[in-house]
Amino acid sequence: MATLTSPVAPEQRPEDERDFRPPRYRRPFGIGRDTAVQYAVIALLAIWVLAPVVPTLIQSIRSEPLYEDGGAFTLDGYRHLFTDAGFGRVIWNTALFATLTTLLTLLIAIPMAVVVVRTKLPGGRFFALAMQWPFFISSLILGFGWIIMYGPAGFVSTEFRNVFGGVPWNLYSIPGMAITEAVALAPIAYVFCANALRQSDASLEAAAQVCGAGPFRILTQVIVPMLRPPMVYSSILIFSMSIETLSVPLLYGQPVGIDVFSTFLFTNGLQSVHPNYSVLGAASVIILCVTISLVAVQAKLLKDAARFVSVRGKATRPRPLDLGWLKWVSIAAITFYVVFGALIPILGLVARSFTRIFTPLRNPLDFVTTDNYSTITRYDTYVQSIWNSLIVAGIGAVVVSVIALLAVMVARRSNFRFGRSVEYLALIPQAVPGIIIGIGFFWAFAYAPFGLASALPGTLTALVIAFGLRALPSAFGSVAPSMMQIGAELDNAARVAGADWVMTFFRILRTLITPAFIGAVVLVFVIMLKEYSPAVFLSSADNNILGTTMLELWAQGTTGAVAALATIQIAITAAFVAIASLLTRGKHHA
Amino acid sequence: MPELTVRNLRKQFGDNTVLHDNSFTIKDGEFFTLLGPSGCGKSTTLNCIAGLEQPTGGSITVGGTTFVDTERKIFLQPEERNLGMVFQSYALWPHMTIEKNLAMPLKIRKIPRDKQRTLIHEALEKVGLADLSGRYPHQLSGGQQQRVALARALVYSPTVLLLDEPLSNLDAKLREQARAWLKRLQEDLGITTIYVTHDQDEALALSDRIAVMAGGHMLQVDDPHSIYERPAAPEVAAFVGRCNFFEGAVLETVDERHTIRLGCNDGVVEVHSSTQVAVGDTVTVALRPERLEVVPAGEEVAGMNRLDTEVLTSSYVGSHYDYDVRLGSQVVQVESSTPGLTGQVQVVFKPANALLYAQTVELSEDERELITVDS
Repeated sequence: MATLTSPVAPEQRPEDERDFRPPRYRRPFGIGRDTAVQYAVIALLAIWVLAPVVPTLIQSIRSEPLYEDGGAFTLDGYRHLFTDAGFGRVIWNTALFATLTTLLTLLIAIPMAVVVVRTKLPGGRFFALAMQWPFFISSLILGFGWIIMYGPAGFVSTEFRNVFGGVPWNLYSIPGMAITEAVALAPIAYVFCANALRQSDASLEAAAQVCGAGPFRILTQVIVPMLRPPMVYSSILIFSMSIETLSVPLLYGQPVGIDVFSTFLFTNGLQSVHPNYSVLGAASVIILCVTISLVAVQAKLLKDAARFVSVRGKATRPRPLDLGWLKWVSIAAITFYVVFGALIPILGLVARSFTRIFTPLRNPLDFVTTDNYSTITRYDTYVQSIWNSLIVAGIGAVVVSVIALLAVMVARRSNFRFGRSVEYLALIPQAVPGIIIGIGFFWAFAYAPFGLASALPGTLTALVIAFGLRALPSAFGSVAPSMMQIGAELDNAARVAGADWVMTFFRILRTLITPAFIGAVVLVFVIMLKEYSPAVFLSSADNNILGTTMLELWAQGTTGAVAALATIQIAITAAFVAIASLLTRGKHHA
Repeated sequence: MPELTVRNLRKQFGDNTVLHDNSFTIKDGEFFTLLGPSGCGKSTTLNCIAGLEQPTGGSITVGGTTFVDTERKIFLQPEERNLGMVFQSYALWPHMTIEKNLAMPLKIRKIPRDKQRTLIHEALEKVGLADLSGRYPHQLSGGQQQRVALARALVYSPTVLLLDEPLSNLDAKLREQARAWLKRLQEDLGITTIYVTHDQDEALALSDRIAVMAGGHMLQVDDPHSIYERPAAPEVAAFVGRCNFFEGAVLETVDERHTIRLGCNDGVVEVHSSTQVAVGDTVTVALRPERLEVVPAGEEVAGMNRLDTEVLTSSYVGSHYDYDVRLGSQVVQVESSTPGLTGQVQVVFKPANALLYAQTVELSEDERELITVDS
């Protein structure tokens, strides 16, 4: 029985040699299960990502709708777009809106990131969390809240007018749109800058301190210049996100006739009686080109920027700077942003949902009611839309996270020849505006084989597919860094010990990646719950979700019911995030 | 146990060739070390043997089994090679106890449970950790983790043991003890072992044979003694042990006795070497610091080359003194047991103790600056 204790070579013990043969893995047609899984993943991603894009490209050069027979190849769509249809005005509005939004976002995010991460701030941890709250609220809901509070007839505006005799702001304008959008997008820029600041080497600041630099000199000469890379790529990201956003332009711009890219598509695709699909396709293609090139530039910068980030193995504890009296100014600024940007509009929405009339002219407490909620419960379609949202987000969260995990495994943890392509495929949807994903799948489903063309449209599955694609890059981005933190030597050790790629995942990585996977599920759930823009082209009476129902009710002027639905959506998000963070905390202690 | 043969192993990343058609054979039961600075290709070679990297060209066979042969389009996955490997970070699976870590490869091989238990116990006993089998990796010290990693690599009796700098994460004192222990264990087991390290002391102490690598080439494959005493190339001399290099011109050559004028101070020395050189050639004379001796100026030493130098710095390092002396425009390192030498001294050496190379040595800019002084 002795194997290791005796210094005898195993070949002299034939009964043992039989036991120690390396494991055999079956390879039908020379394809092991590793390769099979890897090709399946890339095929799935390719179909998923290209499904909405390719029909859009084709439609842009077809004279008739894709699902109808006949029609010819033509460039009329593009010609029409640039000659009339008012597209020039749309481009100008979009550029103005996106630029303003980007500037305002940076103006909010960068000082806050510096102050929260790098200076001594009473309650700094609290402010760090508070800065990220607006992320959990969809910009549609934020828009509703802003209109209810700061709109021409809003609560705050009316009160202001009473006291000062006039209101110096106009929400229904491009600057008004930009401010709201900036509040919604600031958390993204904030996270980028804050992470860069946390990762940067604290000894750089220590070195400046030793040279005799005071806190302000360190801030202006060392810290802010270090932020240049995250500033550049978060501003590109914000710019492309404000090009594609639908909510705020739809709520603010439409009533006063300010059209941007997304509302142009919305109007031409949905509201006209005979939509000109080649114009719609052509406009989509042009917007796609803009957003994809922006994201490509961003990815390139991100890659280059990585060369300048020096993360030392030795962890130096950053020593926060003391700003003196200025810290009270910073606290006031952050509080102003959180309270006026997010808290007041949200509280306003909640208050509106519980009142019949909501105005400072009359005491709202006299009009307290639950009518708005009973309006919703009275109609099955409204209740159904809540369930639909939960089902789409719930199923989507799990499905998308599993696919993202598979994509990360193939892209980062295999020798698969097309691993890079898998990663690009998983990240491309970031550049595709939600409304174009909606239009694209609308055309793609019309094309789909195996009878799917009649089975898919108007179902929740269609929404899971479309929303899921939107959430895929975020899921990938949330799993990938955690996977990279698990040393590749752990995989290699398992491979050499006899486990193939699939078994290595199930025996080793599965347990180690579980916390990150749960994180991805939570993230995708939140994203998919607040998503709605692809649904405006894919919804029917059967598969309305919270977002589309709210838009519908808003158009009818039933503000109270909208506020009630928004409150419900916020409550679901808050409850889910709270439960999830409790659960993951439990996991950490185990 | 079989021998391992590597033929024309080549690895390219795009245009960058990191392994240049290396061939070598490792005998049954041999302790074979790949030694070289970081980026020399030693870990790539090991990973090609393990199957973690796919070579661009060449073949690797162990006994009758071909692991990889690019011409015949054969590539065995790492899990099909039945090798044992210890990684630099140990790569113990953090969510499994020590026992589970060792059980994994046995489970994959479908070994009955009771047999598994015996094997795990024996393997842990071999590394002296049988009583810690219920612990998790993070509850062990670095040295213990390293031994567990070794036990895990040995528990399924692999054909070849691969060690990727397994001692580099231990502190200096422990590393020396672990080195001696590893040597005994390998001799006991008689398992063919390939060891990768950048630490020349480790390589010299452990190996039956060493392959010195630089820039993807194998400069010399030989036993430790030959590597140190008769380095095949200046790079080998520089990497294994310390070495002073002098450029010089051959003035006269009779049999294996060569008279050379050194470039740095125009001094003339005699060197005995089998290296083929001709009069007028530019050559490199290499001298190890411990083969040089410092004597006070003016003292006569018979049968030795003498060079007039000036002491720049002297440092006491415990077992001896390290002197930096100036020879013309060049700094020369000398080891000596004589304390307190200053000013003008003579550096002496036997003609047979110098190494002679027909090529010149390309130094990096940093090195050149450090050995050059204003005269």
